[in-house]
Amino acid sequence: MQYCTACQKAIATIVVMDLSEGSVTGSQHVCAECAEQLGVTPPKQTKFAPEMLEDLLGGIKTERNDATLTECCPGCGLAPTEFRSKGRLGCPRCYDTFRNELMPLLQRIHESQTHTGRLPSTMAEAPDYAETADLTELRQKLEDAVRGERYEEAAQLRDDLRRAERGEAIDEEPQQ
Amino acid sequence: MGKESKGSGRGNGGGGASNDSNRDAGGHSPDDNDPNSNNRNFQPGAWLEGTGPENDIAICTRVRLARNLQGFPFAPSLDDIESERLYSFITERLAKPGLPAHLSIHDLEPIEELERSMLVERHLISRELASSQRHTGVAVDANESVAIMINEEDHLRIQVFGSGLQPSEVWSRMERLDDQLMQRLPMAWSEEFGFLTSCPTNTGTGLRLSVMLHLPGLVWSEEIDKATNVAQKISLAVRGLYGEGSRALGDFYQVSNQITLGRDESQIQDDVMLAVGRIVQWEREVREALLRGAARVRTLDRVHRALGTLERSQILTSEEALGCLSALRFGIHTQLVDGFSIDAVNQALLLSQPAHLQRYTHQTLLPEERDQRRAQLLRELLGCAP
Repeated sequence: MQYCTACQKAIATIVVMDLSEGSVTGSQHVCAECAEQLGVTPPKQTKFAPEMLEDLLGGIKTERNDATLTECCPGCGLAPTEFRSKGRLGCPRCYDTFRNELMPLLQRIHESQTHTGRLPSTMAEAPDYAETADLTELRQKLEDAVRGERYEEAAQLRDDLRRAERGEAIDEEPQQ
Repeated sequence: MGKESKGSGRGNGGGGASNDSNRDAGGHSPDDNDPNSNNRNFQPGAWLEGTGPENDIAICTRVRLARNLQGFPFAPSLDDIESERLYSFITERLAKPGLPAHLSIHDLEPIEELERSMLVERHLISRELASSQRHTGVAVDANESVAIMINEEDHLRIQVFGSGLQPSEVWSRMERLDDQLMQRLPMAWSEEFGFLTSCPTNTGTGLRLSVMLHLPGLVWSEEIDKATNVAQKISLAVRGLYGEGSRALGDFYQVSNQITLGRDESQIQDDVMLAVGRIVQWEREVREALLRGAARVRTLDRVHRALGTLERSQILTSEEALGCLSALRFGIHTQLVDGFSIDAVNQALLLSQPAHLQRYTHQTLLPEERDQRRAQLLRELLGCAP
Protein backbone atom coordinates (compact mmCIF):
# COMPACT_ATOMS: atom_id res chain seq x y z
CA MET A 1 0.00 0.00 0.00
CA GLN A 2 1.42 3.36 -0.99
CA TYR A 3 0.35 6.96 -0.33
CA CYS A 4 -0.21 9.40 -3.15
CA THR A 5 3.03 11.21 -4.01
CA ALA A 6 1.10 14.37 -4.95
CA CYS A 7 -1.15 14.96 -1.90
CA GLN A 8 0.64 12.58 0.50
CA LYS A 9 -2.75 11.86 2.10
CA ALA A 10 -4.82 9.40 0.13
CA ILE A 11 -3.91 5.85 -0.84
CA ALA A 12 -2.38 5.75 -4.31
CA THR A 13 -4.48 3.71 -6.72
CA ILE A 14 -2.93 4.79 -10.01
CA VAL A 15 0.63 4.46 -11.27
CA VAL A 16 1.82 6.99 -13.84
CA MET A 17 4.82 5.71 -15.72
CA ASP A 18 7.25 7.69 -17.84
CA LEU A 19 8.29 5.81 -20.90
CA SER A 20 11.40 6.56 -22.85
CA GLU A 21 13.02 4.40 -25.54
CA GLY A 22 10.61 1.65 -24.74
CA SER A 23 11.56 1.33 -21.09
CA VAL A 24 10.14 2.75 -17.91
CA THR A 25 12.26 5.67 -16.74
CA GLY A 26 10.19 6.73 -13.76
CA SER A 27 6.90 6.20 -12.03
CA GLN A 28 4.59 8.08 -9.75
CA HIS A 29 1.90 6.65 -7.50
CA VAL A 30 -1.11 8.92 -7.20
CA CYS A 31 -4.60 8.78 -5.80
CA ALA A 32 -7.65 8.95 -8.03
CA GLU A 33 -8.36 12.57 -7.18
CA CYS A 34 -4.85 13.82 -7.91
CA ALA A 35 -4.79 11.75 -11.08
CA GLU A 36 -7.88 13.58 -12.21
CA GLN A 37 -6.34 16.97 -11.38
CA LEU A 38 -3.15 16.02 -13.21
CA GLY A 39 -5.23 15.14 -16.24
CA VAL A 40 -4.21 11.49 -16.19
CA THR A 41 -7.76 10.24 -15.95
CA PRO A 42 -10.96 11.87 -17.22
CA PRO A 43 -13.04 13.81 -14.66
CA LYS A 44 -14.93 11.54 -12.34
CA GLN A 45 -18.65 11.10 -12.64
CA THR A 46 -20.81 9.69 -9.95
CA LYS A 47 -21.79 6.60 -11.89
CA PHE A 48 -18.31 6.02 -13.26
CA ALA A 49 -15.52 5.06 -10.89
CA PRO A 50 -11.87 4.83 -12.03
CA GLU A 51 -11.98 1.12 -11.37
CA MET A 52 -14.65 0.85 -14.04
CA LEU A 53 -12.45 2.62 -16.50
CA GLU A 54 -9.61 0.30 -15.69
CA ASP A 55 -11.94 -2.62 -16.03
CA LEU A 56 -13.14 -1.41 -19.40
CA LEU A 57 -9.67 -1.04 -20.80
CA GLY A 58 -8.33 -4.20 -19.28
CA GLY A 59 -6.13 -2.25 -16.90
CA ILE A 60 -3.60 -1.19 -19.46
CA LYS A 61 -4.41 2.23 -20.76
CA THR A 62 -4.91 4.19 -17.55
CA GLU A 63 -1.23 3.93 -16.80
CA ARG A 64 -0.31 6.27 -19.59
CA ASN A 65 -0.96 9.95 -19.85
CA ASP A 66 -2.93 11.49 -22.70
CA ALA A 67 0.10 12.77 -24.58
CA THR A 68 1.57 9.28 -24.90
CA LEU A 69 -1.81 7.74 -25.59
CA THR A 70 -2.40 9.64 -28.81
CA GLU A 71 0.90 8.47 -30.25
CA CYS A 72 0.63 4.86 -29.15
CA CYS A 73 -0.99 2.27 -31.36
CA PRO A 74 -4.71 2.15 -30.51
CA GLY A 75 -4.74 -1.55 -31.29
CA CYS A 76 -2.09 -2.73 -28.85
CA GLY A 77 -0.71 0.32 -27.05
CA LEU A 78 2.76 0.02 -28.59
CA ALA A 79 4.68 3.28 -28.05
CA PRO A 80 6.55 4.87 -30.95
CA THR A 81 9.78 4.74 -28.94
CA GLU A 82 9.36 1.01 -28.50
CA PHE A 83 8.70 0.49 -32.17
CA ARG A 84 11.81 2.50 -33.00
CA SER A 85 14.06 0.70 -30.56
CA LYS A 86 12.92 -2.86 -31.33
CA GLY A 87 11.84 -2.53 -34.95
CA ARG A 88 8.91 -4.86 -34.23
CA LEU A 89 5.23 -4.15 -34.66
CA GLY A 90 2.76 -4.95 -31.90
CA CYS A 91 -0.38 -5.83 -33.86
CA PRO A 92 -1.84 -5.61 -37.37
CA ARG A 93 -3.09 -2.08 -36.66
CA CYS A 94 0.49 -0.90 -36.04
CA TYR A 95 0.95 -0.99 -39.81
CA ASP A 96 -1.40 2.03 -39.97
CA THR A 97 -0.27 3.70 -36.78
CA PHE A 98 3.42 3.69 -37.65
CA ARG A 99 2.95 3.90 -41.39
CA ASN A 100 5.16 6.98 -41.83
CA GLU A 101 8.09 5.36 -40.11
CA LEU A 102 7.43 1.95 -41.55
CA MET A 103 7.51 2.91 -45.24
CA PRO A 104 11.22 3.91 -45.38
CA LEU A 105 12.05 0.87 -43.24
CA LEU A 106 10.30 -1.49 -45.68
CA GLN A 107 12.05 0.23 -48.57
CA ARG A 108 15.42 -0.36 -46.92
CA ILE A 109 14.73 -4.01 -46.11
CA HIS A 110 12.89 -5.11 -49.24
CA GLU A 111 13.58 -2.37 -51.77
CA SER A 112 9.82 -2.19 -52.08
CA GLN A 113 6.81 -0.91 -50.16
CA THR A 114 3.98 -2.84 -51.78
CA HIS A 115 3.00 -6.48 -51.73
CA THR A 116 2.77 -8.58 -54.85
CA GLY A 117 1.79 -12.19 -54.54
CA ARG A 118 -0.71 -14.35 -52.81
CA LEU A 119 -3.62 -12.88 -50.87
CA PRO A 120 -6.25 -14.87 -49.02
CA SER A 121 -9.06 -14.73 -51.58
CA THR A 122 -10.41 -18.03 -50.33
CA MET A 123 -10.47 -16.78 -46.78
CA ALA A 124 -12.88 -13.93 -47.49
CA GLU A 125 -15.45 -16.38 -48.83
CA ALA A 126 -15.11 -18.77 -45.95
CA PRO A 127 -18.14 -18.71 -43.64
CA ASP A 128 -15.96 -18.38 -40.56
CA TYR A 129 -14.27 -15.32 -41.79
CA ALA A 130 -17.41 -13.38 -42.69
CA GLU A 131 -18.49 -13.32 -39.07
CA THR A 132 -15.12 -12.66 -37.63
CA ALA A 133 -15.15 -9.50 -35.59
CA ASP A 134 -12.12 -7.34 -35.93
CA LEU A 135 -11.13 -7.15 -32.29
CA THR A 136 -8.66 -4.39 -32.93
CA GLU A 137 -11.44 -2.24 -34.34
CA LEU A 138 -13.67 -3.04 -31.38
CA ARG A 139 -10.90 -2.09 -28.98
CA GLN A 140 -10.48 1.21 -30.80
CA LYS A 141 -14.23 1.93 -30.66
CA LEU A 142 -14.28 1.06 -26.99
CA GLU A 143 -11.42 3.38 -26.29
CA ASP A 144 -13.03 6.19 -28.29
CA ALA A 145 -16.27 5.70 -26.38
CA VAL A 146 -14.49 5.87 -23.04
CA ARG A 147 -12.55 8.94 -24.00
CA GLY A 148 -15.74 10.54 -25.28
CA GLU A 149 -17.35 9.54 -21.98
CA ARG A 150 -20.11 7.63 -23.78
CA TYR A 151 -20.21 5.04 -21.06
CA GLU A 152 -23.35 3.16 -22.07
CA GLU A 153 -21.93 2.62 -25.51
CA ALA A 154 -18.62 1.65 -23.94
CA ALA A 155 -20.28 -0.96 -21.76
CA GLN A 156 -21.99 -2.46 -24.79
CA LEU A 157 -18.72 -2.48 -26.72
CA ARG A 158 -16.94 -4.08 -23.79
CA ASP A 159 -19.48 -6.91 -23.82
CA ASP A 160 -19.10 -7.29 -27.58
CA LEU A 161 -15.35 -7.39 -27.22
CA ARG A 162 -15.46 -10.00 -24.48
CA ARG A 163 -17.75 -12.17 -26.58
CA ALA A 164 -15.56 -11.74 -29.62
CA GLU A 165 -12.46 -12.55 -27.60
CA ARG A 166 -14.05 -15.76 -26.40
CA GLY A 167 -14.39 -16.65 -30.07
CA GLU A 168 -18.18 -16.54 -29.99
CA ALA A 169 -18.45 -13.96 -32.75
CA ILE A 170 -16.28 -16.17 -34.88
CA ASP A 171 -18.58 -19.12 -34.44
CA GLU A 172 -22.00 -18.99 -36.00
CA GLU A 173 -24.13 -17.75 -33.12
CA PRO A 174 -23.22 -15.85 -29.99
CA GLN A 175 -24.08 -18.27 -27.22
CA GLN A 176 -25.49 -17.16 -23.96
CA MET B 1 41.87 -47.23 -53.16
CA GLY B 2 38.29 -47.98 -52.25
CA LYS B 3 37.40 -49.07 -48.79
CA GLU B 4 36.55 -52.72 -48.47
CA SER B 5 33.04 -53.62 -47.61
CA LYS B 6 32.11 -52.90 -44.04
CA GLY B 7 28.84 -54.74 -43.79
CA SER B 8 25.48 -53.11 -43.76
CA GLY B 9 26.65 -49.96 -42.05
CA ARG B 10 23.46 -49.87 -40.03
CA GLY B 11 23.86 -50.85 -36.45
CA ASN B 12 20.30 -50.45 -35.36
CA GLY B 13 18.50 -53.15 -37.23
CA GLY B 14 17.98 -51.24 -40.46
CA GLY B 15 14.63 -50.07 -41.66
CA GLY B 16 14.13 -47.21 -44.08
CA ALA B 17 13.30 -43.81 -42.76
CA SER B 18 9.78 -43.94 -44.12
CA ASN B 19 8.73 -47.48 -43.24
CA ASP B 20 7.11 -46.87 -39.93
CA SER B 21 3.96 -44.89 -40.44
CA ASN B 22 2.56 -45.27 -36.96
CA ARG B 23 5.03 -43.05 -35.27
CA ASP B 24 3.87 -40.26 -33.05
CA ALA B 25 6.11 -37.63 -34.55
CA GLY B 26 8.12 -35.77 -32.00
CA GLY B 27 5.92 -37.04 -29.22
CA HIS B 28 8.71 -38.78 -27.44
CA SER B 29 7.07 -41.32 -25.26
CA PRO B 30 9.09 -41.81 -22.10
CA ASP B 31 9.00 -45.58 -22.18
CA ASP B 32 10.44 -46.36 -25.57
CA ASN B 33 13.49 -47.55 -23.73
CA ASP B 34 15.00 -50.05 -26.06
CA PRO B 35 17.89 -48.10 -27.54
CA ASN B 36 18.07 -50.48 -30.46
CA SER B 37 14.42 -50.16 -31.31
CA ASN B 38 13.50 -48.76 -34.66
CA ASN B 39 11.83 -45.84 -32.92
CA ARG B 40 11.03 -43.07 -35.34
CA ASN B 41 12.35 -40.49 -32.91
CA PHE B 42 15.78 -41.78 -33.74
CA GLN B 43 15.19 -41.90 -37.48
CA PRO B 44 15.69 -38.75 -39.51
CA GLY B 45 12.55 -36.84 -40.51
CA ALA B 46 11.64 -35.71 -44.02
CA TRP B 47 14.43 -33.14 -44.16
CA LEU B 48 17.18 -35.73 -43.70
CA GLU B 49 15.80 -38.64 -45.72
CA GLY B 50 18.61 -38.43 -48.25
CA THR B 51 16.26 -38.73 -51.22
CA GLY B 52 15.00 -36.34 -53.88
CA PRO B 53 16.69 -34.50 -56.75
CA GLU B 54 20.38 -33.56 -56.32
CA ASN B 55 20.44 -35.27 -52.93
CA ASP B 56 24.22 -35.69 -52.99
CA ILE B 57 24.48 -31.93 -52.50
CA ALA B 58 21.01 -30.64 -51.62
CA ILE B 59 19.94 -32.05 -48.25
CA CYS B 60 16.50 -30.53 -48.09
CA THR B 61 14.15 -27.82 -49.26
CA ARG B 62 12.09 -25.96 -46.70
CA VAL B 63 9.30 -23.45 -47.20
CA ARG B 64 8.15 -21.37 -44.26
CA LEU B 65 5.22 -18.95 -44.07
CA ALA B 66 4.74 -16.40 -41.30
CA ARG B 67 1.05 -15.84 -40.52
CA ASN B 68 -0.81 -13.94 -37.82
CA LEU B 69 -4.41 -13.95 -36.72
CA GLN B 70 -6.72 -10.97 -36.80
CA GLY B 71 -7.93 -9.73 -33.46
CA PHE B 72 -4.85 -10.60 -31.44
CA PRO B 73 -1.71 -8.57 -30.84
CA PHE B 74 1.38 -10.18 -32.36
CA ALA B 75 2.89 -12.91 -30.22
CA PRO B 76 5.63 -10.88 -28.48
CA SER B 77 2.96 -8.39 -27.27
CA LEU B 78 0.53 -10.99 -25.93
CA ASP B 79 -0.13 -11.07 -22.22
CA ASP B 80 -0.51 -14.45 -20.51
CA ILE B 81 -4.28 -14.59 -20.85
CA GLU B 82 -4.30 -13.62 -24.52
CA SER B 83 -1.48 -16.04 -25.16
CA GLU B 84 -3.51 -18.89 -23.65
CA ARG B 85 -6.59 -17.89 -25.61
CA LEU B 86 -4.64 -17.72 -28.85
CA TYR B 87 -3.05 -21.09 -28.18
CA SER B 88 -6.36 -22.84 -27.59
CA PHE B 89 -8.05 -21.05 -30.49
CA ILE B 90 -5.33 -22.15 -32.92
CA THR B 91 -5.02 -25.71 -31.64
CA GLU B 92 -8.81 -26.19 -31.75
CA ARG B 93 -8.93 -25.04 -35.35
CA LEU B 94 -5.93 -27.14 -36.33
CA ALA B 95 -7.52 -30.22 -34.81
CA LYS B 96 -10.61 -29.99 -37.05
CA PRO B 97 -10.44 -32.53 -39.86
CA GLY B 98 -9.83 -31.61 -43.47
CA LEU B 99 -6.24 -30.44 -43.55
CA PRO B 100 -4.07 -32.01 -46.27
CA ALA B 101 -1.87 -33.57 -43.60
CA HIS B 102 -2.93 -35.22 -40.36
CA LEU B 103 -1.26 -33.26 -37.62
CA SER B 104 -0.43 -34.21 -34.05
CA ILE B 105 -0.24 -31.22 -31.80
CA HIS B 106 2.52 -31.12 -29.22
CA ASP B 107 2.16 -28.73 -26.34
CA LEU B 108 5.65 -27.48 -25.50
CA GLU B 109 4.76 -26.11 -22.10
CA PRO B 110 4.78 -29.31 -20.06
CA ILE B 111 7.67 -31.05 -21.79
CA GLU B 112 11.27 -31.12 -20.63
CA GLU B 113 14.03 -29.04 -22.08
CA LEU B 114 15.70 -32.14 -23.52
CA GLU B 115 12.57 -33.00 -25.50
CA ARG B 116 12.38 -29.46 -26.81
CA SER B 117 16.03 -29.63 -27.86
CA MET B 118 15.29 -32.83 -29.76
CA LEU B 119 12.60 -31.00 -31.72
CA VAL B 120 15.14 -28.26 -32.51
CA GLU B 121 17.68 -30.85 -33.66
CA ARG B 122 14.99 -32.40 -35.85
CA HIS B 123 14.44 -28.93 -37.39
CA LEU B 124 10.78 -29.00 -36.39
CA ILE B 125 10.96 -25.96 -34.12
CA SER B 126 13.26 -22.97 -33.80
CA ARG B 127 15.52 -22.36 -30.84
CA GLU B 128 13.44 -19.26 -30.16
CA LEU B 129 10.29 -21.35 -29.81
CA ALA B 130 12.06 -23.87 -27.59
CA SER B 131 13.08 -21.16 -25.13
CA SER B 132 9.94 -19.02 -25.33
CA GLN B 133 8.15 -17.97 -22.14
CA ARG B 134 4.81 -17.94 -23.96
CA HIS B 135 2.49 -20.93 -24.28
CA THR B 136 3.86 -22.53 -27.42
CA GLY B 137 3.32 -25.67 -29.41
CA VAL B 138 4.02 -27.40 -32.66
CA ALA B 139 1.75 -29.37 -34.99
CA VAL B 140 3.62 -32.09 -36.89
CA ASP B 141 2.53 -34.66 -39.47
CA ALA B 142 3.51 -38.32 -39.36
CA ASN B 143 6.63 -38.16 -41.51
CA GLU B 144 7.74 -34.76 -40.24
CA SER B 145 7.25 -33.06 -43.59
CA VAL B 146 4.95 -30.45 -42.03
CA ALA B 147 5.61 -28.57 -38.80
CA ILE B 148 3.50 -25.61 -37.71
CA MET B 149 5.00 -23.62 -34.87
CA ILE B 150 2.39 -21.94 -32.69
CA ASN B 151 3.09 -18.67 -30.88
CA GLU B 152 6.57 -18.13 -32.21
CA GLU B 153 7.51 -14.58 -33.24
CA ASP B 154 4.40 -14.82 -35.41
CA HIS B 155 1.26 -16.64 -34.32
CA LEU B 156 1.94 -19.29 -36.91
CA ARG B 157 5.14 -20.31 -38.58
CA ILE B 158 4.07 -22.92 -41.11
CA GLN B 159 6.86 -25.11 -42.44
CA VAL B 160 6.87 -27.74 -45.17
CA PHE B 161 9.95 -29.86 -45.82
CA GLY B 162 11.06 -32.01 -48.70
CA SER B 163 14.19 -34.06 -49.10
CA GLY B 164 16.63 -32.96 -51.79
CA LEU B 165 16.07 -30.03 -54.12
CA GLN B 166 12.37 -29.77 -54.95
CA PRO B 167 11.14 -26.21 -54.43
CA SER B 168 8.08 -26.45 -56.71
CA GLU B 169 6.81 -29.64 -55.13
CA VAL B 170 7.34 -28.31 -51.60
CA TRP B 171 5.73 -24.99 -52.50
CA SER B 172 2.62 -26.60 -53.97
CA ARG B 173 2.19 -28.69 -50.83
CA MET B 174 2.53 -25.49 -48.82
CA GLU B 175 0.02 -23.64 -51.01
CA ARG B 176 -2.62 -26.30 -50.39
CA LEU B 177 -1.94 -26.28 -46.67
CA ASP B 178 -2.01 -22.48 -46.49
CA ASP B 179 -5.35 -22.39 -48.38
CA GLN B 180 -6.84 -24.79 -45.88
CA LEU B 181 -5.46 -22.89 -42.92
CA MET B 182 -6.80 -19.60 -44.24
CA GLN B 183 -10.26 -21.08 -44.40
CA ARG B 184 -10.24 -21.98 -40.74
CA LEU B 185 -8.17 -19.16 -39.26
CA PRO B 186 -8.77 -15.44 -39.89
CA MET B 187 -5.33 -14.25 -41.01
CA ALA B 188 -4.16 -10.64 -40.73
CA TRP B 189 -3.42 -9.11 -44.11
CA SER B 190 -3.87 -6.00 -46.21
CA GLU B 191 -3.96 -5.35 -49.96
CA GLU B 192 -1.01 -3.02 -49.62
CA PHE B 193 1.32 -4.93 -47.33
CA GLY B 194 0.20 -8.51 -47.89
CA PHE B 195 0.44 -10.72 -44.81
CA LEU B 196 1.13 -8.67 -41.70
CA THR B 197 3.95 -9.96 -39.55
CA SER B 198 5.50 -9.01 -36.26
CA CYS B 199 8.82 -8.11 -37.84
CA PRO B 200 8.83 -5.99 -41.01
CA THR B 201 11.50 -8.28 -42.46
CA ASN B 202 8.77 -10.88 -43.10
CA THR B 203 5.96 -8.60 -44.27
CA GLY B 204 4.31 -9.39 -47.61
CA THR B 205 4.48 -13.01 -48.62
CA GLY B 206 5.78 -14.06 -45.19
CA LEU B 207 7.68 -16.62 -47.23
CA ARG B 208 11.12 -17.98 -46.61
CA LEU B 209 12.38 -20.60 -49.01
CA SER B 210 15.57 -22.22 -47.88
CA VAL B 211 17.68 -24.97 -49.31
CA MET B 212 20.21 -26.79 -47.18
CA LEU B 213 23.34 -27.66 -49.08
CA HIS B 214 26.25 -29.90 -48.24
CA LEU B 215 29.32 -28.18 -49.67
CA PRO B 216 32.50 -29.94 -48.54
CA GLY B 217 34.07 -29.53 -52.00
CA LEU B 218 33.77 -25.76 -51.91
CA VAL B 219 35.01 -25.63 -48.32
CA TRP B 220 38.02 -27.87 -48.99
CA SER B 221 39.02 -26.00 -52.13
CA GLU B 222 38.52 -22.70 -50.29
CA GLU B 223 36.01 -21.43 -52.78
CA ILE B 224 33.16 -21.31 -50.32
CA ASP B 225 33.32 -17.56 -49.70
CA LYS B 226 33.15 -16.83 -53.41
CA ALA B 227 30.23 -19.22 -53.73
CA THR B 228 28.25 -17.73 -50.86
CA ASN B 229 28.90 -14.26 -52.32
CA VAL B 230 26.91 -15.32 -55.38
CA ALA B 231 23.90 -15.73 -53.13
CA GLN B 232 24.52 -12.65 -51.01
CA LYS B 233 24.84 -10.45 -54.11
CA ILE B 234 21.21 -11.12 -54.98
CA SER B 235 20.04 -10.41 -51.42
CA LEU B 236 19.92 -14.01 -50.26
CA ALA B 237 21.07 -15.10 -46.83
CA VAL B 238 23.59 -17.88 -46.24
CA ARG B 239 23.40 -19.46 -42.81
CA GLY B 240 24.62 -22.50 -40.94
CA LEU B 241 22.97 -25.79 -40.04
CA TYR B 242 20.52 -24.37 -37.51
CA GLY B 243 19.58 -21.15 -39.26
CA GLU B 244 20.00 -17.65 -38.00
CA GLY B 245 23.24 -17.06 -36.11
CA SER B 246 24.45 -20.64 -36.38
CA ARG B 247 27.76 -21.73 -37.84
CA ALA B 248 28.27 -23.85 -40.90
CA LEU B 249 29.05 -27.04 -38.99
CA GLY B 250 29.84 -30.09 -41.06
CA ASP B 251 30.01 -27.99 -44.26
CA PHE B 252 26.22 -27.55 -44.24
CA TYR B 253 24.86 -24.24 -45.49
CA GLN B 254 21.34 -22.89 -45.84
CA VAL B 255 20.58 -20.49 -48.67
CA SER B 256 17.35 -18.53 -48.34
CA ASN B 257 15.58 -15.40 -49.52
CA GLN B 258 15.44 -12.32 -47.35
CA ILE B 259 13.12 -10.17 -49.44
CA THR B 260 9.46 -10.93 -48.78
CA LEU B 261 7.77 -7.74 -50.00
CA GLY B 262 7.43 -6.67 -53.62
CA ARG B 263 8.40 -10.06 -55.04
CA ASP B 264 5.79 -12.76 -55.41
CA GLU B 265 6.19 -16.41 -54.46
CA SER B 266 7.41 -17.58 -57.85
CA GLN B 267 9.90 -14.73 -58.18
CA ILE B 268 11.28 -15.60 -54.75
CA GLN B 269 11.60 -19.19 -55.87
CA ASP B 270 13.44 -18.07 -59.02
CA ASP B 271 15.82 -15.91 -56.97
CA VAL B 272 16.74 -18.72 -54.61
CA MET B 273 17.02 -21.30 -57.39
CA LEU B 274 19.26 -19.02 -59.42
CA ALA B 275 21.86 -18.98 -56.66
CA VAL B 276 21.31 -22.56 -55.53
CA GLY B 277 21.60 -23.89 -59.09
CA ARG B 278 24.87 -22.04 -59.55
CA ILE B 279 26.29 -23.20 -56.22
CA VAL B 280 25.30 -26.84 -56.81
CA GLN B 281 26.98 -26.78 -60.22
CA TRP B 282 30.07 -25.16 -58.71
CA GLU B 283 30.23 -27.80 -55.97
CA ARG B 284 30.12 -30.51 -58.67
CA GLU B 285 32.94 -28.87 -60.57
CA VAL B 286 35.21 -28.58 -57.55
CA ARG B 287 34.38 -32.16 -56.50
CA GLU B 288 35.59 -33.34 -59.90
CA ALA B 289 38.74 -31.23 -59.55
CA LEU B 290 39.36 -32.69 -56.07
CA LEU B 291 39.32 -36.18 -57.55
CA ARG B 292 41.77 -35.45 -60.38
CA GLY B 293 45.56 -35.46 -60.57
CA ALA B 294 47.61 -34.46 -57.55
CA ALA B 295 44.52 -33.30 -55.67
CA ARG B 296 43.12 -36.82 -55.56
CA VAL B 297 45.53 -38.22 -53.00
CA ARG B 298 45.02 -35.24 -50.70
CA THR B 299 41.26 -35.70 -50.93
CA LEU B 300 41.57 -39.44 -50.27
CA ASP B 301 43.79 -38.70 -47.30
CA ARG B 302 41.27 -36.29 -45.90
CA VAL B 303 38.35 -38.69 -46.25
CA HIS B 304 40.25 -41.62 -44.76
CA ARG B 305 41.56 -39.58 -41.85
CA ALA B 306 37.98 -38.67 -41.04
CA LEU B 307 36.98 -42.31 -41.34
CA GLY B 308 39.90 -43.31 -39.12
CA THR B 309 38.70 -40.87 -36.49
CA LEU B 310 35.16 -42.24 -36.65
CA GLU B 311 36.44 -45.81 -36.40
CA ARG B 312 39.06 -45.35 -33.71
CA SER B 313 38.56 -42.27 -31.61
CA GLN B 314 37.32 -42.59 -28.04
CA ILE B 315 36.30 -38.99 -27.53
CA LEU B 316 34.38 -37.03 -30.16
CA THR B 317 32.87 -33.56 -29.81
CA SER B 318 29.73 -32.90 -31.84
CA GLU B 319 31.65 -30.44 -33.97
CA GLU B 320 34.39 -32.95 -34.81
CA ALA B 321 31.79 -35.65 -35.40
CA LEU B 322 29.94 -33.44 -37.88
CA GLY B 323 33.20 -32.65 -39.67
CA CYS B 324 34.11 -36.35 -39.97
CA LEU B 325 30.61 -37.36 -41.03
CA SER B 326 30.68 -34.61 -43.64
CA ALA B 327 33.93 -36.04 -45.06
CA LEU B 328 32.48 -39.56 -45.01
CA ARG B 329 29.32 -38.38 -46.77
CA PHE B 330 31.52 -36.77 -49.43
CA GLY B 331 33.58 -39.97 -49.71
CA ILE B 332 30.47 -42.10 -50.26
CA HIS B 333 28.99 -39.82 -52.91
CA THR B 334 32.29 -39.56 -54.78
CA GLN B 335 32.85 -43.35 -54.53
CA LEU B 336 36.08 -42.88 -52.60
CA VAL B 337 34.78 -45.23 -49.92
CA ASP B 338 32.17 -47.93 -50.06
CA GLY B 339 30.45 -50.17 -47.58
CA PHE B 340 28.72 -47.29 -45.82
CA SER B 341 25.20 -46.20 -46.52
CA ILE B 342 24.06 -42.62 -46.71
CA ASP B 343 21.15 -43.60 -44.45
CA ALA B 344 23.60 -44.60 -41.72
CA VAL B 345 25.53 -41.35 -42.11
CA ASN B 346 22.32 -39.31 -41.95
CA GLN B 347 21.19 -41.12 -38.84
CA ALA B 348 24.62 -40.62 -37.31
CA LEU B 349 24.40 -36.91 -38.10
CA LEU B 350 21.14 -36.75 -36.19
CA LEU B 351 21.99 -38.97 -33.24
CA SER B 352 25.33 -37.32 -32.57
CA GLN B 353 23.51 -34.09 -31.67
CA PRO B 354 23.54 -33.55 -27.89
CA ALA B 355 19.83 -34.00 -27.13
CA HIS B 356 19.36 -37.02 -29.39
CA LEU B 357 22.50 -38.60 -27.99
CA GLN B 358 21.24 -38.27 -24.42
CA ARG B 359 17.73 -39.38 -25.29
CA TYR B 360 19.05 -42.34 -27.23
CA THR B 361 21.32 -43.48 -24.42
CA HIS B 362 18.73 -42.67 -21.73
CA GLN B 363 21.28 -40.73 -19.75
CA THR B 364 21.82 -37.14 -18.82
CA LEU B 365 25.46 -36.78 -19.65
CA LEU B 366 28.12 -34.20 -18.87
CA PRO B 367 29.81 -32.84 -22.00
CA GLU B 368 32.91 -35.03 -21.45
CA GLU B 369 30.78 -38.16 -21.02
CA ARG B 370 28.74 -37.16 -24.02
CA ASP B 371 31.86 -37.04 -26.19
CA GLN B 372 32.84 -40.56 -25.11
CA ARG B 373 29.35 -41.85 -25.65
CA ARG B 374 29.18 -40.17 -29.04
CA ALA B 375 32.40 -41.84 -30.21
CA GLN B 376 31.00 -45.22 -29.14
CA LEU B 377 27.59 -44.62 -30.71
CA LEU B 378 29.04 -43.56 -34.05
CA ARG B 379 31.15 -46.72 -34.19
CA GLU B 380 28.00 -48.75 -33.58
CA LEU B 381 25.92 -46.88 -36.14
CA LEU B 382 28.57 -47.12 -38.83
CA GLY B 383 29.16 -50.79 -38.12
CA CYS B 384 32.79 -50.33 -36.99
CA ALA B 385 34.54 -52.59 -34.51
CA PRO B 386 33.70 -51.61 -30.91
